[in-house]
Amino acid sequence: MNKAPTDELPLGTTPAFAGMHKWLQRGLIVCLTALVLEGAFTFPLLALWYGWPQLSLHEICTEFEKIRFADDSRECIYPYPLFGPAEGAGQKTAQDEWGIQPKPLYKAIGYRELIQRRDERLARQAAAHASQP
Amino acid sequence: MTTNTMSMGGMNNLDDHHRRSREAQWQADKWMMSGALLLGTAVFGILGFPLFLRGMALQLKAQREGLTVRPIMVTLIGYLVAVDAALNTIGWALDLVAHHTLLARVFLMAWGNMFDAGYFWHYNELWLGGASAPGEKAWEIALLPIVFAMRIAAAIGFLQMKRWGHQWLIITCWFGVVAWTGYIANMTIFADVRYTGVVFPVIGWWLYDIFYITPFLALPYLHSVNREIFSN
Amino acid sequence: MKEQPISEQDRRRRRALIAFQIVCYGYLLTMFLIQLHMYSTRDW
Repeated sequence: MNKAPTDELPLGTTPAFAGMHKWLQRGLIVCLTALVLEGAFTFPLLALWYGWPQLSLHEICTEFEKIRFADDSRECIYPYPLFGPAEGAGQKTAQDEWGIQPKPLYKAIGYRELIQRRDERLARQAAAHASQP
Repeated sequence: MTTNTMSMGGMNNLDDHHRRSREAQWQADKWMMSGALLLGTAVFGILGFPLFLRGMALQLKAQREGLTVRPIMVTLIGYLVAVDAALNTIGWALDLVAHHTLLARVFLMAWGNMFDAGYFWHYNELWLGGASAPGEKAWEIALLPIVFAMRIAAAIGFLQMKRWGHQWLIITCWFGVVAWTGYIANMTIFADVRYTGVVFPVIGWWLYDIFYITPFLALPYLHSVNREIFSN
Repeated sequence: MKEQPISEQDRRRRRALIAFQIVCYGYLLTMFLIQLHMYSTRDW
């Protein structure tokens, strides 16, 4: 145990709790470091994973919408009308295995996969367009 | 006034030390607090990062120079709670009232797709918009005003070493214990909705969120610290 | 060096706080392990 005299302890820490406070301090330093890093870098790193800056935020929003509701015709409407109904209200296209524990059928999105998905869809649409005179 | 027994020089030195300590603390706090609040917005987090680091450097410098600044535990807990509460507040406020903004539909959706599909699955389909995972909305409505918003205020009072800051931090940290317990139970019960089709299920979520356990770290300190150091 | 004896009240308070932490972290660990087990048996 800590045998340091009382006046070397930080203000507010009594000898009975010196050991506990030391451990708490270590945990707090770890957590504060992690939260500061998360606060600073979550947003840019997420944007990077999902295709920014090749895709604009609006395009990322559109891709999410198509995957979420399993419907290639959906677009991210922005700005959204202020008192309009929720964008997904009443949709019938999303794919799930329904039950007491519903399971969605969409797949996880890999690193910068949205760019690829978008390119492929645009190529598909262009091809379909070209084959119809 | 006790000027008669002490030499004037000694008194002035003491006053001077006191004044310089207070100034140094205020300087450090200005940088750290603005940094912490920016970090708490997540979107401008990258701007808050250098501000927070500069404040921390000032705090450590003052400590090394022998100035009587706040105990390090109080600083750590205060800022940890502030950043934790601000991050939760902004995220949930976005989901609760700003779910159709581009920011929510990119940031929350991306986070949800990566760690917790509660923020992806059937998003914006409920009539009140936002997250559709079972129970999630109710947690937001309960916790946003009475835990997280209040914890920011408590953290600021605590950093000023006020008695009410200490008391309210204890109260809101106990709310935090309730929040963690219930939220995790809800998440485990509806784990299929939340982890299916997610980039980093379970381990990713825990690695990201475990650092929000501030109440469990703060409460043992708050209940064992000598309360005399907080003033009315 | 003045070694202050730790009061009975402090001793009990310390025991209670340690118990609180064991319960909290134990609960979190349990939930994590349950989720980990589910993760190993399902196609998430």
